[in-house]
Amino acid sequence: MSLPDAVRLTETLLALALIQQSLEHLVRFENERRLFGARIILCGLVVAGVASPWPLVALAGLSLLILHRFQGPYNGGSDRMGLLALWCLTLAHLLPTPALQELAFGYLGAQLTLSYFISGGVKIVNPDWRSGRALADVFQFSAYPVAESLRGWAERSRVLLAMSWAVMGFELVFPLTLLWKPALIAGLVVAGTFHLANACLFGLNRFFWTWLAVYPAILWLQGRLVQ
Amino acid sequence: MRSLLKLLLPALIPSWNFFDVIAPSPRVEYARLRSIGDPSGDWREFRPRPESLSPLDTFKRLAWNPRWNESLFLVSCAERLTDVPTAHSEDEIFKRIAADLRGEPEDAARPWLCFRLAFVSREADTVTSEVLFQPAPRRLAEIVVA
Repeated sequence: MSLPDAVRLTETLLALALIQQSLEHLVRFENERRLFGARIILCGLVVAGVASPWPLVALAGLSLLILHRFQGPYNGGSDRMGLLALWCLTLAHLLPTPALQELAFGYLGAQLTLSYFISGGVKIVNPDWRSGRALADVFQFSAYPVAESLRGWAERSRVLLAMSWAVMGFELVFPLTLLWKPALIAGLVVAGTFHLANACLFGLNRFFWTWLAVYPAILWLQGRLVQ
Repeated sequence: MRSLLKLLLPALIPSWNFFDVIAPSPRVEYARLRSIGDPSGDWREFRPRPESLSPLDTFKRLAWNPRWNESLFLVSCAERLTDVPTAHSEDEIFKRIAADLRGEPEDAARPWLCFRLAFVSREADTVTSEVLFQPAPRRLAEIVVA
């Protein structure tokens, strides 16, 4: 995949993910409707490929207003990944040389890799994660399970132990998938399934769409690094 | 400008330390009061989760999940209030509770609204809850919902 193709695919998927998020804001408050209505229009222009790259630049500017409105990301990590992708894509269009454009877009792919690797690293040094206790805590009392019935999973200590090690193991070995494209594709399928499970169990639907949108960046980066 | 950069930088240079520790988890509870000092408030959890969710509803939430995402935003506000309290986080929680209550029958005898943040955590094998934040009540009718 060439850089322009990968950038185009990523910005289209990101714009669709941002439209999905923005629609959710249209049903509540007037001041949010204005901000996110404008974002939907700009995302539509990105999807249509109109006046590129200015809708992206405007989206980057609008992202600052949205950050100010909520005094930070509305939904933590998923919004942070969306912001990172948006700003990297904008820079990949605006920077003056192909090398700098590659650097901006490659940074996005590298951060995606780090998002798994560092998440695995910070878990495995925690004894509660290694024993399965941390995941039991997530089900037992965290704010994330979408239904009370899921709280019962906290009692399934063997399953949670296996799930904990599966998650940590996958996150830690993920960078190795960059060595071989079929391994990376398989890794992304597993990762996508992981995000889908998080969306179903913990209601983190924004993570699912945002991370999926960034996958072309890592597919491009892998091709660029292992030529 | 500096404050905007402070908000943007964690996105551009992310830490990615998802779920590194399972911290005490906030629950937003609210009560309608007769007066500012009324101790007889009937505290209720704001938007308690359903007992169960059907596969169809789970699937729908992949594409349409505004209430849950708003609840997660309130969790962020609650964590900010115990970390670095700001009027913004307090206003956001009041506003969103008030917006939900506007759809319910009026209770003229209890015109004041208050919320509190109960943090749930595990100590040894026991799950405990502790109220760590409770702002001054506000008149429900005066809370701007826009």
